[in-house]
Amino acid sequence: MLRYTWKRILTGILSLFVLVTVTFFLVRLIPGSPFRQGGVSEQVVETIEQEYGLNEPVLTQYFSYIGNVLRGDLGVSYQDPATRVTEIIARAWPVTASIGITALAVSVLLGTGLGILRAVTKRRFVRELISAGGMLAAGIPGFAAAILLLLVFSVKLKWLPASGLLSPAHYILPVTALSLYPAAMIARLVGNTLDSELQKDYVLFARAKGIGKWQIIFTHALKNAYLPVLNYIGPASASLLTGSFVIESIFTIPGLGREFVGSITNRDYTLILGLTVFMGAVVIIVNLLTDLLCAWLDPQTRRAYKKAGDSAK
Amino acid sequence: MRKKLTAVLLALTLLCTGILSGCVTADPSADGEGKEITVAISSDTGTMDPAGAIALTYLAYSVSALDELLTYDENGDIEYRAAESYEVNDDSTVWTFHLREDALWSDGSPVTSADFLNTITRALDPASGSGYANYLFPIENAEAIYNGEADMDTLGVETPDDHTLIFHLAEPCVYFLDLLRLPVYTPSCSEHADSVDSGWDRDPETSLANGPFRLAEYVPEQYFVLEKNEYYWNADEINLDTITYRFFDDTQSMANAYEAGEVDVATSLSSTVMEAYEGAEDLFVTDQIATRYIYMNLNVEPLNDVRVREAINLAINREELCQIVGSDTEPTYNLVAKYMKDKTTGEYFVDEAEQPFEENVERARELLAEAGYPNGEGFPELTYNYPTLEMDSDTAQVIQEQLKENLNITINLEAQELQANYSTRYAGDFDLCRMNWTADFADPYTYLSMLLSNSTYNCSGINDSEYDSIVNASSSEADSVKRSELLHQAEQLAVGEQFYIIPLYAMKSVNLVNPDITGIRQIPASGALEYRYADI
Repeated sequence: MLRYTWKRILTGILSLFVLVTVTFFLVRLIPGSPFRQGGVSEQVVETIEQEYGLNEPVLTQYFSYIGNVLRGDLGVSYQDPATRVTEIIARAWPVTASIGITALAVSVLLGTGLGILRAVTKRRFVRELISAGGMLAAGIPGFAAAILLLLVFSVKLKWLPASGLLSPAHYILPVTALSLYPAAMIARLVGNTLDSELQKDYVLFARAKGIGKWQIIFTHALKNAYLPVLNYIGPASASLLTGSFVIESIFTIPGLGREFVGSITNRDYTLILGLTVFMGAVVIIVNLLTDLLCAWLDPQTRRAYKKAGDSAK
Repeated sequence: MRKKLTAVLLALTLLCTGILSGCVTADPSADGEGKEITVAISSDTGTMDPAGAIALTYLAYSVSALDELLTYDENGDIEYRAAESYEVNDDSTVWTFHLREDALWSDGSPVTSADFLNTITRALDPASGSGYANYLFPIENAEAIYNGEADMDTLGVETPDDHTLIFHLAEPCVYFLDLLRLPVYTPSCSEHADSVDSGWDRDPETSLANGPFRLAEYVPEQYFVLEKNEYYWNADEINLDTITYRFFDDTQSMANAYEAGEVDVATSLSSTVMEAYEGAEDLFVTDQIATRYIYMNLNVEPLNDVRVREAINLAINREELCQIVGSDTEPTYNLVAKYMKDKTTGEYFVDEAEQPFEENVERARELLAEAGYPNGEGFPELTYNYPTLEMDSDTAQVIQEQLKENLNITINLEAQELQANYSTRYAGDFDLCRMNWTADFADPYTYLSMLLSNSTYNCSGINDSEYDSIVNASSSEADSVKRSELLHQAEQLAVGEQFYIIPLYAMKSVNLVNPDITGIRQIPASGALEYRYADI
């Protein structure tokens, strides 16, 4: 297991390295200069580019960048030389993470609750309602839902704020927009797996022994039914934790996604690369943790991992 | 069962509140004491250091927080700010400014000539990344210093005492006073403002202001708060206590925030807002001092033929174009912005002369035939490069359609991302390329100088010694009437005889302003809004 974990970590580092390399060259392939804006003369642009070493061969720039990254130095933002890229990440990530974690909590609780309800309810109407609602929530793209929520609850009804992240009320709309899809997915997964789990013999046996319906669901069936859900939650939380470009832009939320869009528009090379490295690392770590968690919960996977580790010897 | 569901829901609510409370910044407009307004501005970019990389954040900040030496009001009269008076020698090469002796920084220390010099010397260091450094080049040796060919002590700026500032110019420059509103000519407190990367400019402790408002709080990517500067020499005239600027990514979010009552002012919105708010008190439409036009590459056949350039210009129906593009555009036939005023007469500069040319499809067809392309036959396909903004995409399609219909020539459209379009333009790698120019300072020279043979904005290979000599003569002509004649002559030559460009339209700025606010002014040079004398 330990050997397998190490292997996964090394692959992760390798993937990050490939990601940085590809991004580095792609960024320099986009036409445009970080310093060329409306009123800047060509002579000034050239002098500033020299100042930042952008006139050197791309390979030289690449090796010096990789050297800096290995020392943990992501450089300064070209747009704002007083701010280091690491400071920008340290400022923007907690914002993104706070929305992401809230949205994750909402989707897990709501999704699980509705999934259970759908599996156990005897009323056909409720079951159909949950299914239809889930289909709708999963079918509307996040940005459309966000704009719809904004227009209805902020612009027309004026119940909730439209922009920024200045009070708890500001969280409601973006979190709702972010949670709709994952909540629907989780509800569907929980509903389906729990449904088939409840048909199994051990459930019948437990009931025969007189154990209550809810106790069976929460202590036995749900635990087994939750594995596929965890496999979904892993990647979903990685995407929630790296920020949604669209939702953050629509609600003017100062998170990673908005920084990323801005950095590309401004050709802020160091910031684009820094954010890519960071987001890549988050995705890799979260996926690794999910895999380990699944393995820990599921003896079958654990054995498979052990085997994979052994065969690598 | 109902009880358990309630429990789940309760747990969910509790969890969310717990997480939320960890990451909420205080609402900047929540305390509600005194007179305050909240203004929506475009996204947080650039620094607030006048010697640094200037972008929208600085421009918004400086309008309320910094006093330039002097400026012009809407009638073209001088309004003295940091300076009390000035003198100039006969050939406009030595400019002496006497600073206000009672002017103080927002910590109570005096504003001195050294503070003005501080911005200039720092901006001339290429490491500062100042995009406005080239506006210092009229000063003796400034360009050589910037290029590392001369020492800073040879710079033609003198500070004989704390309240005198003397500029020695390399060549006569009659519009020098107009340059003074540019960031590089505004002061930065020499005690704190040491370099662009120390972060002094966004720390309220060190970011001092010599204008009506001072920085009180700066939260990156979210907002910054300005409070009234009690040490300001003219503080009695200032009514507001607080101005909060909030950053937005796009104009739609700004309009939403205005609708939701979160901001009092939202500027530069799309023309659809104009239609939605028609007749409402909130709608505040201002003229932009800007021209949208197209560069024709003179190195590309057949655009090197003046008859072809004239034909294209005459074949475009600008009235129809503006009707389609949006109600915030107005046809223009000039390079100089439609709403730029001639300070000597107080009239719009372009209205003082005849329109450089008249649209005429018949004549355009004749010209094209004379050039060897009767009914567009044999005319090569040209490509038009433009940024992917909605307005420019609409414009491109209309022009494509009009030129096909009127001249039977084919224009291929190539939309590019804004930055990519800048690069294409600078590289001169185009047939036709969209250009937009907002005035940097309130003089037609800001436009006409772009077409000089050695100008960095001359991207289309214009090399006209007659034009150069007229425009250069205008910058040393001290007689304002003669100078105005020269400028008109230059514009007629470039736009009405040689047809170097295709002028398209002037634009209006669509703003939403809380009707309770009074006293918002428009800066004559750029058309931007100024809130320093506002009241609520």
